[in-house]
Parts: sequence; structure tokens; C-alpha cells
Amino acid sequence: MSTDKLYTRREVPFELVEINLEGASDSELVELSRESGTALSLEEIKRIRDFFQQKGRPPTDVEFQSLGQAWSEHCCYKSSKIYLKQYVFGINTRQVIDRGDAGVMEFDKDHAYALRIESHNHPSAVEPYGGAATGIGGIIRDVLCMGAQPIALVDPLFFGPLDYPFEKLPAGIKHPKYLFGGIVAGIRDYGNRVGIPTVSGGVWFDESYVGNCLVNVGCVGICEKKNLRKNAVRGPGDVLVLVGGRTGRDGIHGVTFASAVLTKESETESRGAVQLGDPIMKEPVIHALLEANEKGLVNGMKDLGGGGLSCVVGEIALAGGCGAEVDLSKVPLKEEGLAPWEIWVSESQERMMLSVSPRNVDEVLHVFRLWDVPATPVGKVIPEKSVRLFFQGEKVFDLELEFLTAGPEYCRPCSAERMDSRKKEKAPHAKARYDKELIKLLSSANICNKDWVIRQYDHEVRGNTVIKPLQGKLGHSSHGDAAVLKPVEDSFRGLAITTASNPFAVGIDPYKGGKTCVDEMCRNLASVGARPHSFTNCLNFGNPEKPDRLWLFREAVRGMGEVAKALNIPTPSGNVSFYNEAPSGAVLPTPSLLGCGIVRDIRKCVTSDLKREGNTIALVGATRPEMGASQYYRMTKSYSGRVPDVDILALKAGMEVVIGGIERSAIVSCHDISDGGLAVALAEMCIGGDVGAEVDLSRMEKLRSDVRLFSEANSRWLVELKKGKEKQLPKDRKTKVVRLGTVGGDSLKMTAGKMLVNSDVDKLARSFNSTLWRLVG
Amino acid sequence: MKASQVKVCVLRIEGTNCEEESFAAFKRLGTRPEKVHLKQLTGTDVAHEEKRNLSDYQILVLPGGFSAGDYVRAGAIFAARMKSKLSKDLVGFVKSGKPILGICNGFQILVETGLLPAMSGVMSEVPEAVLGTNDSGRFECRPTLLRKVNKGSCAFTSRISPDKISLIPSAHAEGKLMFPLEKAKKIVRELEDNDQIVFKYVDPEGNLAGYPWCPNGSTDNIAGICNREGNVFGLMPHPERVFFRFTHPDWTRSPDGPGDGKAVFESVLEYVAKKL
Repeated sequence: MSTDKLYTRREVPFELVEINLEGASDSELVELSRESGTALSLEEIKRIRDFFQQKGRPPTDVEFQSLGQAWSEHCCYKSSKIYLKQYVFGINTRQVIDRGDAGVMEFDKDHAYALRIESHNHPSAVEPYGGAATGIGGIIRDVLCMGAQPIALVDPLFFGPLDYPFEKLPAGIKHPKYLFGGIVAGIRDYGNRVGIPTVSGGVWFDESYVGNCLVNVGCVGICEKKNLRKNAVRGPGDVLVLVGGRTGRDGIHGVTFASAVLTKESETESRGAVQLGDPIMKEPVIHALLEANEKGLVNGMKDLGGGGLSCVVGEIALAGGCGAEVDLSKVPLKEEGLAPWEIWVSESQERMMLSVSPRNVDEVLHVFRLWDVPATPVGKVIPEKSVRLFFQGEKVFDLELEFLTAGPEYCRPCSAERMDSRKKEKAPHAKARYDKELIKLLSSANICNKDWVIRQYDHEVRGNTVIKPLQGKLGHSSHGDAAVLKPVEDSFRGLAITTASNPFAVGIDPYKGGKTCVDEMCRNLASVGARPHSFTNCLNFGNPEKPDRLWLFREAVRGMGEVAKALNIPTPSGNVSFYNEAPSGAVLPTPSLLGCGIVRDIRKCVTSDLKREGNTIALVGATRPEMGASQYYRMTKSYSGRVPDVDILALKAGMEVVIGGIERSAIVSCHDISDGGLAVALAEMCIGGDVGAEVDLSRMEKLRSDVRLFSEANSRWLVELKKGKEKQLPKDRKTKVVRLGTVGGDSLKMTAGKMLVNSDVDKLARSFNSTLWRLVG
Repeated sequence: MKASQVKVCVLRIEGTNCEEESFAAFKRLGTRPEKVHLKQLTGTDVAHEEKRNLSDYQILVLPGGFSAGDYVRAGAIFAARMKSKLSKDLVGFVKSGKPILGICNGFQILVETGLLPAMSGVMSEVPEAVLGTNDSGRFECRPTLLRKVNKGSCAFTSRISPDKISLIPSAHAEGKLMFPLEKAKKIVRELEDNDQIVFKYVDPEGNLAGYPWCPNGSTDNIAGICNREGNVFGLMPHPERVFFRFTHPDWTRSPDGPGDGKAVFESVLEYVAKKL
């Protein structure tokens, strides 16, 4: 279909087109949306048509493109907002200092920390190295623009199986091993170069991620409270200074690309939507920006992410109750000949917008010049709530902000219909011994040692990483539950950071799965001695226009919100990523959480590796036969719809016992029980400490042996108690503590009336350590 | 000279990213460290009051990081920028006996500049060695154990007893010290004769060991070297990251005592106190 008649070129010496929406048929409008790459729906275009009809003029391409960006799912959360408001916003707002591009929470009297996590899924699926690298770049800017120094990165990643058969790969989809290698390299090269330690994360594997891998990137920053800034202008007269990278044609339509499902043509059609990262532009931007800010030269700032200038100008101005005028011809370009609309929506990387009082502009420019970072005044703040754009003297854009930023909000249909094929419960056969099962779990891709990934990321740069992601005796390592940073020089207060996600549980029961994710986050933080303080989440789901997908989203959010509210843990920031689908289907519903906790004194922190022979090993928390979504059931191809639930009072009590025990130095090592259950948790503690243990599981609840060994029931920890200090462990009748056995020997022995497992720790370590190295070849 | 009089120049350009912790290490010992951009020494794009003179400092530190992205070759761009405008100042600094410390990327820069190993003279015209890509081909962030093999020449290790094993972690992709192949053996012998080898990668028993104890495949397991006078020192591992015990990777197993890296900074202060 030809839509030529809809376009009229304006007589100017550059490319500028007016779009004649009046009189266009519905099918022409749909075609227009496709052709322009804006992904606006028919209703949305009609709303734009009516608006301009009243104005009595047609929109320019700059205005039309801008609306496409502002109204995308990515920018305005049009399908998710209704549920987020209902379930997660508004928890414990008193401790939340700001909810800007990153959330800001109080750290101590003088300091605040900022946190945010978001997805960079579609760009990474098309161009793994650049997509992941620019994901890191973007999340760093979100923290930076609050005025905070980024101090930690977090990367939860989700892939198809690394040994997925090539012949089964759908057309246009890249192999998981290629994606995995490229994404890890992208995070490594960007994160390491920019000098921010990567301290936490995770790698999950499942067939549902073959068509659409997930790359979530989180960042945490620290700031003196007096240096905190809003993502807002101060008032009319402020000069808008664009700093950082130049603007080019890379990253055009990134947000609209992120707000549609991937197809086999994504590679060819959307390659240009992936931005190009430059960590060596970002690194000096961090220095210069923080320096200018600490000198009090900046009124407010905001990062250029999705939608580029088109989003940042309107948002930073409106947040200060104003509008703005921008001269697009002043924007420094990577190449000549960009049309105004391209400059306006480009998502080129490493750019930030500062709002500066006129008298401070020269000094700001000077600070950036020392670091060889381009800084250019491109516009000014005006009292009317409008944005006007000029290009070579011609007005190319004039829109009221109320219309531009009033994206639609949908209450889309939502139903549990998909539960059509209710799967039958199927338990595995009981066995006499479980040595082989334990080895198989330890060497499974989802549980095995991720040192191949972790050691490629610098997790210690800045010299503040007190508890590291890999823990153990020198030469031996196992996973810790959370990392701890000591962000303030003269204080022993620590900030614990962890990642939690359980897509398998959410996939079977999104409500309980959502609760489980928050439980895991709390367990992880408590394991090192931290009190959960806040969290941010990235919610990766399928196409929200399909009612069953949206139902999964609603239920998961409801579950998460319920536990978070009961524990009074706020979510000052977050991100929703819909449309994670390929023709092969949607990904498992995947909320990934970045949790932060406060440690009163980092010198009390503990790690997961067993410390000393003769110490007691105890289990905190009750075990129930909730085997649904467990790694053991997945491995044995069994099924149960009963996924672990959360008993909030027991979770609270368990945390008090564990944190109290750590603070009183009664607990010398601690590990939460998650993937693979008690058996895997204890094996990991043995592997890290390079020492054996002997435990009697008949002291647990009366359950099948495989349930005792492998249940992933929530709110449970294994703790090692220091000899002579056992009595110091706090008691709480809402949870139970059972002494299971002692540390010692060279093998892990687990009995319950008879021997269930008896394996050399060396052998367990080999299984745990070799898998990933073998898979990546 | 008292510690409070010692001015430390922590030099940086874009991509230098370990300046905060290097700065902190000197600050904690009571000296007066300052983060200085290379352009403040060369006088480009800076206001009068921002200009600095290298000779005003007693210690020069080149911190770790990825200066200028380590594109071309690790440290090469920083070295070229420094050499083109500051050669004379640098040579004068070294000749006057003032110490220079290069950590990780800083070591790479010292080698690219020709200030290390400096087999003949203070600064060679072309690099005499290179820090090549790790044998693993990957960036390696891991704990490493270093045995002090220096017999007394190095200004940065006087407070570390001979053959002591220190835990000083590594984090780099290009840390394999190499010399021109045909001359490698001769050069290593010369370095030994001149007492220029300072640290070697070892296992917990103190023996020279392969990967992962030696994270990069470095010639003779060499982790750090100094010039003949011992006042220019470069090493790949990061002593500033283990200034305190609680940043050791396994500190929860033995929490008492100072961090193993602290002695490096104390040693150089002792040297400055005596010599300058």
C-alpha cells in the first residue's frame, strides 16, 4: 500500500515532512505506524489526529516520532502501571528519599544510596556484545543522574541451554552459547573499563529463553545527601547543557523495538536500534559530572536513555513545572546530514542532560573540557509547559507537554485461561541412596559454579568489596548469597547487595512464585548479616496484549507486593519489560530482584564456606513438601503444582535468628537454602570450606528422604555455629532451629536412619566446578 | 620528611579508575595525596590555579584502570601522552631518587614509557618488555599470592620480610610479562643480578605454580619488578585493594591483622622519610 499521499515535504534545506492524518483511512494509518517504526496503535494514532485537528495543522515527522517514543510501553508503562500502583507502589514511603531515574534511600545520617535495575533484552538478543554493554552504560547513567557515584553492578542473565541442538534453533535466532559468550564479554568489557565492580548476578538456563534471552542490568550508587539532585530543572532561565557522547543514527527506535515481539526479521530490521557503547566516554563523564555537581553547579540532571532527547527534554522540564526550547542544530553529531527527527529520537549512548543556571554554564563547560568530554548548551527552560524545537532557524516542533507525556494507560484484559492443560502431579521414585542425584544437581547448568563468568568481571575495583561473590578457602570457591560493600571511608556500616529470581516457580504459580522471589532476596541478605532495606525489580514478561500473559504479570506483582508490604521493604524504582516473546513462545515469567540490605558493622559479616571442624551445623526454618518447580523435580522430569509458599511470620522470625546470630558472632558461616535444596546448600558450604560434614536428617520433619534433601521450601538457612557459642543464637517460637550435625572429615555424609549420601568433598567440588567450563568449551 | 609533608601525585586520564583506592591508601597513612589529571601537568585546557608541577610531589602513582580504554595496547596511549610532553620531568623525578609506583595499568604504562625495566639508563627510548594478553585469553579477577624475592633494592617492599607470601589480588586481561624471545633468558638473569625482580606468583606453599595461582602465564612467574635503583616499581596485582584485612577474599576465616597490601605503602613512606 502506498502512503505517499500522507507525506508533504516542507520547503526547507533539510529533511522535514508534514504528516496529513486527516482523511487517511484506518489501513493507511496502520501502515503509517509500521512504516515510521513508531509502533503506535490505531487508537493512539487517531488520538493524535484529533489533537492536531483541533490545532488546525498537521504534525511534523519530528512531532509524530516523538509521540511514538513517549507513548511506547517502554516509556509510559501503559499496560503495567495499573497493577504496579495497586500492589507495589506506596510501601513504606517514609524511608524513600526520591523515586527518579533511580530510587534513592537513606544509608546513614549523611549518605543516601541509589538503586535501579532494568532490562536490555531485545538489543542483546540481536547484538549480544553491544546490547549488554550499552545496558550497563544506561543503568549507570540512571544512578549517576541522581548525583550518586555508581559503586556496584548486578547482572541477572537468562539463556536457552548452552548445548541446545543447532537444528532445533528457530529461524533468525542466535544460539544460546553465542549469546552467552557475547553478553558476558559485553558486560565485562564495559563494566571493567568504566571501573565499577560487578558484585552480584546470576545465570539461569531454560528452553523458554532460546528465542528471547534476558539481560537485566542493575546498578547501586552512593551519595552524600547534600549532593542529591532531582531529575528536574530548577526554573525558567535554566540552560540545558547536553554532555557526553555525540548523537548519531545508532539506537533509533530502541524503545519501540523493545515494545514489540522479536521476529525472524529483527536481525535485519532492528540492528540499527542497538546503540554503540563507549565506556571511555562514560568513565570521564562520571568524573566530570560528579565534580560539577559537588561544586554545586548543577540544578538537576537526567540521563538520555530510551527515546533520547525526545523523552529527556520534556520530562526534565515538566518535572520542574516548566517547558523548554531546544535548538537541534546545536547538538554535536557523529555524522552530517541527520534529519531533525533522527536527532530528536536517537538513543546514542553516553549522553546526559544537565540543567544549569546561566551564571554557572562557563564553569560547567570548563570542568567537562578538562576531561575532553563534549558539553554543549542546546536549549533553555521556559515558563510555559510546552516544548519547541528549532532546526536551522525553522520551528519544527511545538507541543504541549501535557499531551506529549499523557501516554495512554490501559486496563487490558487479563485471564487465567491458559491453565487449560492442567499438568498431572508426578513424584519421582524413592531411592535408597541419593549420591548420584546430588552429583547430577551440582553439575547441572542452573546450579553449577559460575566462576567462569564471575572471574571475568572485576568485583573488587574501588576497593570496597568486603564480601565477594565467590567465597571460600583460598583455591576453593563457592557462591555466596550476597555481596557486601563498605561505601563510606570512615564508617563500618555496610551495604549488602543481592539478586533473586525464580522463573520456574513463577511459571507454575505466579502468585506464590512472586512471593518466593522476595523471600529469596530476604534470605540472601540475612545470610551475610544484613537487614533487607529496599529492592528494585525488573519484570520480564510476554506480550501484555495476550490476557494470559498479563495475568501472570498481575499475579506475580501481587505476590511480591504482599511479602514486601508485610516486611515493610519499599521498591523505590523498577522496570517492566513486556513483549519477551519470539515465534516459539513467551519466556518464563521472570521477575528479577536487586535487593539492598544494611549491615551495622561489616566486621561481623559471614560467608557461606564452612570454617572449622567440630562446629555444629543447624537448620533454621521449617521444611514442607513443596516440591513444585524444584530443581530436583525438574531434573527427574517430575511435576507438582505445589510450589513453595511464604509464611511471613516464619520468614521474619528466621531472619531475626540468623541476623542476630551473626551479629552475636554465634554464626560463623551461613547459606540460604534455594536451588537444589538442603543437600546442595550443604555441599556448596563444604566445597567452599574444603571440609566435610556429617548430618542426620531424621531430626527434620517427618518427610520423604528426597523431600528432606531437595525441597526448596522458603525461609530456610543452614548455619554453622561456633563451638561454645551455640547458646547465643537467638530463639523465636515462630521458626524452628534444628541441630543436624557437625563439620568435619573429607566427605559429606547425610543420614536418616540409614546412609542417604556419602561423597568425597573433592568429588562434589569437581562436579560443581567443571560443568560451565565444559559447556562453554 | 614527615608523612604529613609528603605530597603524592595520583595521576589519571580518562579510563584510569583505581585512583580513589590508591588515593585512600596514601591518605590513611597521613600523607597529602592529590588526584591530578595529566593535563594539569602538561598545562592543557586548565586554568592557572589548576596547573601542577611534577617536581612539587615526592611520590608519583600511576593507578590501575583502562586508561584511554587500553585500545592499541594496554597503557600505550597514556604512556605516549606522558612521554611526548613530560619526558624531562619524569627523568628528573626518577634521577632525584623520588619513588614512582605503577599498579596494574600503571605497571603497563611504566613499561610502555620505558621507565621499567630500564635495563640501561633511566628511561629507554622504546619499550624493553611488554605485558601481553593472559594465557587464558580472559580478564582474570582472582586472589593471587606473591612471594617477595627482592633482596633489598626495592623502595616499596622494605617492610615485607624476605620470602614472605602476601595475598594481593589480581584483576587484569594483560599481565603476562614478556621480553623479546631471543633475549628473554639473558634479560631475566640480568634482572635477577640487578635485584630488579620484586614479587613472584606462588601457590600457598610458596612454590612457583601454574594457572590459576599465576593468573597470566608471566615469564618466570614475575608479578612485579623495579628499576635498578629500586625507586620505580610496577606490579600487576593490587596492593591498594587489600589495605585492610576485611577486603581480603578469605578474611572471615582469619579476621585479625592489617591487610597484606598496607606494607607496600608503609615501605615507600619509610623510604621517603629516610631519603628525602
